[in-house]
Amino acid sequence: MSLLSINTVDRLDRPSAYYVSKNKRRRFNDRDEEKPEDPDDKLKNATTLYVGNLSFYTTEEQIHELFSKCGEIKRLVMGLDRFNKTPCGFCFVEYYTHQDALDCLKYIGGTKLDERIIRADLDPGFEEGRQFGRGKSGGQVRDEYREEYDPGRGGYGRAYDEQRQREEDEYGAGR
Amino acid sequence: MAENDRRNQGYRGGRKRRYRDDDDFDRRPQRRRYEEPLFVQVRRQLLTIAESAARRVEDDIQSIAKTVSENYDDEEIRRDFVNISLDLVLEQPMKIPFIAGAVLVAHSLKPELGSEVLSKAGEALQKYIDTGAWREVKLLIRFLGILQPVYEGEGIFPLLEELFARAVDLQTASSEDLLGLELVKIIQFTLPYVMLSPATGFEAQASALLEKTDIIASTPHALVDLVNTFSPEEDKSAAGSSIISLMQSQLQGEASRGWELKCLPRPWKDISDSETDELKSFESVNKVPFPEITVPNPVPNGPHPLFPEVYLSVYANQEIDTVPSTSDISSSLIRDALVDTINLLDFNRVATAKFLIDLDCYFTPYTFIKRATPFDRMRDIPEEQRAWKPEDVAVDAVFSQLFQLPAAEHKLVYYHSLLTECCKIAPAAIAPSLGRAIRFLYNSLQTMDLELSNRFLDWFAHHLSNFGFTWKWSEWADDLDLPAIDPRMSFITGALDKEIRLSFAQRIKGTLPEPYPKLITPGKEKDTPEFKYSSDMTPYSKEGQEIMQLIRKKATDEEIQPVIAAIEEQAKSQGVEDPKVPSTDAFVTSLCFVGSKSLSHVLSCIERSKDRLLALGTESPRARCQIITSVMEYWADQPGIAINIIDKLLNYTILSPLSVLEWALSESIAAGTILSKAHIFEMISATVGKVTNRMRQIVAARTQPGLYEPQLTAIDETLVRERADMQTLFKFIEDSIVSVAAGSNDEQMERGDGSGDLPEDAIIRQWGRRWLRVFRRKAAVEETFITDALANATPLGTVAPERENAAGGDLDIADADGQ
Repeated sequence: MSLLSINTVDRLDRPSAYYVSKNKRRRFNDRDEEKPEDPDDKLKNATTLYVGNLSFYTTEEQIHELFSKCGEIKRLVMGLDRFNKTPCGFCFVEYYTHQDALDCLKYIGGTKLDERIIRADLDPGFEEGRQFGRGKSGGQVRDEYREEYDPGRGGYGRAYDEQRQREEDEYGAGR
Repeated sequence: MAENDRRNQGYRGGRKRRYRDDDDFDRRPQRRRYEEPLFVQVRRQLLTIAESAARRVEDDIQSIAKTVSENYDDEEIRRDFVNISLDLVLEQPMKIPFIAGAVLVAHSLKPELGSEVLSKAGEALQKYIDTGAWREVKLLIRFLGILQPVYEGEGIFPLLEELFARAVDLQTASSEDLLGLELVKIIQFTLPYVMLSPATGFEAQASALLEKTDIIASTPHALVDLVNTFSPEEDKSAAGSSIISLMQSQLQGEASRGWELKCLPRPWKDISDSETDELKSFESVNKVPFPEITVPNPVPNGPHPLFPEVYLSVYANQEIDTVPSTSDISSSLIRDALVDTINLLDFNRVATAKFLIDLDCYFTPYTFIKRATPFDRMRDIPEEQRAWKPEDVAVDAVFSQLFQLPAAEHKLVYYHSLLTECCKIAPAAIAPSLGRAIRFLYNSLQTMDLELSNRFLDWFAHHLSNFGFTWKWSEWADDLDLPAIDPRMSFITGALDKEIRLSFAQRIKGTLPEPYPKLITPGKEKDTPEFKYSSDMTPYSKEGQEIMQLIRKKATDEEIQPVIAAIEEQAKSQGVEDPKVPSTDAFVTSLCFVGSKSLSHVLSCIERSKDRLLALGTESPRARCQIITSVMEYWADQPGIAINIIDKLLNYTILSPLSVLEWALSESIAAGTILSKAHIFEMISATVGKVTNRMRQIVAARTQPGLYEPQLTAIDETLVRERADMQTLFKFIEDSIVSVAAGSNDEQMERGDGSGDLPEDAIIRQWGRRWLRVFRRKAAVEETFITDALANATPLGTVAPERENAAGGDLDIADADGQ
């Protein structure tokens, strides 16, 4: 009901800096083409959320249990490892209304599920193919090069893991 | 030197909430900013007014007023001052006295500034009155009330009198009126601020107004009992009073003590005392007229339905008072400011939590004791130095909103996340306060409204899931000996189930002290429940396994049908009344088993067998009931999954809402004991919620402007039909539970010796009463909603006005409808 055009404190139901910058980059590259569209436009009626930083072991039921607190869920798409077809730590949650999606950003994004702080970002909508990890080894890119050990997301980054494995093999062979 | 000073000041101001200022207003990199523009400084000072306990707010107020009045010709500064002041009034109500203080000082330095603020505030107020946005009206009037010394004549009082006159009209017209009560509340919550203001000599007006509001405020509204946290039927002493009746007596007390208003800050006091030469006293400044406001007659209803509000404190009856008692006006004033802050700022729970933690900055110093003082330490504080515990006051306000009946303003999960955030910011301070709140609520489980005890349950499990599932379970260990249907036992089992749903059984088991782990049965730890047809002991086991294999192979319906027929054949030969029941059991149980891997697995199984399942509904109501039984039995150890599947089956219209109610409240009522199960209440509430939501959508379609025949009639027919269906649903609940509440349910009568005196009988009857209360309220709320909405709907038979004729006779009709 506010008259205000800007609020006196920030809003949590805005697209993330990641989404905005991703679109900015694209806009910059396509400079010569038609007038770039405002990234916010695509999200004006968005009902889908990208949810990240899930544990690989978090189930659909757990996600459902938490996210249905913001409204009835229309569709839930688990993010899968491109090769193994196992959960790889993200998902898309689609609601019936835009408002439910915004409320989810405000009330659920940044809280814990399965004892991990999860990330929620407004998404223009799920498309076939987006459920798969885009990392080299099939999972999410961020899980390739992680230096810390994260038991919920397959331990160390997979790229490092491979390297470690190789080193170990070579060392063994040399001996 | 001067350079240095300025920079220093800039630094001091910038230290706080830099993220906010930079994000909102100034994106230039730090290094390039070598002197902050003045308007940025004013903005920041205004936005962060009173936020720091380390600085005197009086200094900030003076500095803001000085800068703005000295730079009156700088349009940017002037505009920012006016706009941001009003924005803060509307979004951060706890800052109103400080903002008003800044405007008072600015006005005395430069009267034009005051006039500009007043005219903008007047415009906004008029708009909010016209649209019925009563909270915004309340906040703007509060702000204008503190500015009382700058007005000519009686200032704000004529407006308050006019609002009161409207309230009287509304109350006289209908005893059920709630809008009039809202207007009285606005008057009540304005008066203290007018009396707080530097204006003097208005005691008589205030008392006169107070005398008038008395009759309206003190007469209990018929709906108060319905929205009470505690059903007066269960516990008369715990039932709270309405906010306006409390406020009325608190105001009268305050008037008799010369409007002490201890908790409210008066930041202008020091300023007017000290700087007499530069500043004229607020009383002698240029007087201006109060902004011209027209209050329409009748006043409009806002977009939010109104209900009486009841005062709830989860810290009532402690050995030491940590929150103001209801006899103290501070309880109402602080609560009101906090509640508005909470509900207005739902879009940033982190900022809201920060305001709650910092709440002692916004009231008179020493209203609260030092933050994070442990409860036990309060005993050592001498009585005369004792004050309120800020954490308790903050948490109390959040719970009052989480437990608002009939509905909270925002989704309940907002209040969950707000409490989580408070706990994250100040764990050592907030966690013990939450602990005491939980104990109070747990001990009130028997008498609390059932809907609220379920909200408590849901919050409790969700909250723990954010903090490693740690809770001092040992303190309730003795209650594990209570019968399973005792409300406390029902809470414990319900909470553990919800924890498991958010996590997994093994994890939760690991968080529990003895003797709790036994509550997590081996069945709960299994990811895939047993398939009963795997055992030869189960009737039709061969066919059951066959069906399961076929479903797994995604066989066609034609391939499955012969096996189904075989079961029905056998059943018939054994004299089973409805052979479709065992065949449905085998089919649905197989579906559940094959789909047990995840929700999407079971959904795709259901999707493939949709036609068969849909047909069952029309062929045999008993088979349809069996669908529910099979799902609930298969997932008996993980009821969350079961009710989720039931929910989807409702969406597919494979089940009807009534069939779900029949299953729970008639088929499985088990002498009323089913009413003690939290997941059953959840399932029934969700089912009824689906129906009422749909009903509200139809009402919205029916009442949309610009709808004409023949669509009007078409939608109206749907509305009439579905409204009747909804009433049938509520009637069914009423009829099924009324007998449980009265102890005359058939199965209840058959239990034991039929005397109804078994120790558990009283508990069951209480469950019945509590269920009835919830669903009677839901029924009443929905009926009122529909009736109110339809009162303003386009009448049937209205045809679209022809374009050409618009200027002619049809215009009158269109106008009449638009009212």
